[in-house]
Amino acid sequence: MQTSLPISSSSDTQPKMKQHCDHQADCLKMIQLILDGEATEQQLEKLKVNLETCQPCIQMYHLEKEIKELLQGRMEKKCCPEKLVATIKARIDSFS
Amino acid sequence: MPEIMSDTPTRGYTEDQKYQIFNKEFMPHIDSMYNFAFRLTMDEDDANDLVQDTYLKAFRFISSFEQGTNAKAWLFRILKNSFINDYRKKSKEPAKVDYQDVETTYNSEEAEVEHTVDLRAETVSDLIGDEVATALNSLPVDFRTVIILCDIEGFTYEEMAKILDIPIGTVRSRLHRARNLLKEKLRDYASSMGYNEENED
Repeated sequence: MQTSLPISSSSDTQPKMKQHCDHQADCLKMIQLILDGEATEQQLEKLKVNLETCQPCIQMYHLEKEIKELLQGRMEKKCCPEKLVATIKARIDSFS
Repeated sequence: MPEIMSDTPTRGYTEDQKYQIFNKEFMPHIDSMYNFAFRLTMDEDDANDLVQDTYLKAFRFISSFEQGTNAKAWLFRILKNSFINDYRKKSKEPAKVDYQDVETTYNSEEAEVEHTVDLRAETVSDLIGDEVATALNSLPVDFRTVIILCDIEGFTYEEMAKILDIPIGTVRSRLHRARNLLKEKLRDYASSMGYNEENED
């Protein structure tokens, strides 16, 4: 007697995950608004859903976030030379 | 009076008040201003001149600044206008016309729809600051500017609209296009370095 039947269950662990998105360009705009802190509550809600169900959105979100963090954190911030600060102060004081 | 401040009523500050505003509200932003000037001009001497000119102008027109309002945005706006009027002309930057071309191209529906740059977050996380700076510097100045203001300086869209004298909708779309261009540059850079060769899709 056969012990088990090869039940062909889906090997997909997340069967509801979307692999393709038809409104990727719009989603990208929304993702940028969210990362910039300019999104509405509604857009935030929508992203939350998309981040669980849409593979392209997940990828875009991580990419945009990574680039933003890179710009914020890893680029050298030039400080104003002390000499220039002193020059400006001296010029301003000479006006009085 | 420069056009930048002409929409603001003037205030009668005493000499003491002027110095107080200048030192307490303007000077604390000098590092951000210098960084902005350097990212715009990509040259230390030009950044020095631009920051100095901006601060002297700010002092001269201090009566059009309302104490306690957003000094950083006000200063950035003066710096941006000085850059356009005095520095851009003599620099090697592509002229406004070139930028218009780019914006027109990216404005078309077609460009928007097919515009998803094939670049991976993991690839980006391998890049270092200098590589990003190079990519950023290669963008036309108007695109570079919105990225600096938003991502590096953390201005809101509303503040950016005021600094740049453009509607918020234009801020949003210009930023979107700027980021697509930046991603293209980063992708080209990454593939030239052999970072991003596998495309598993």
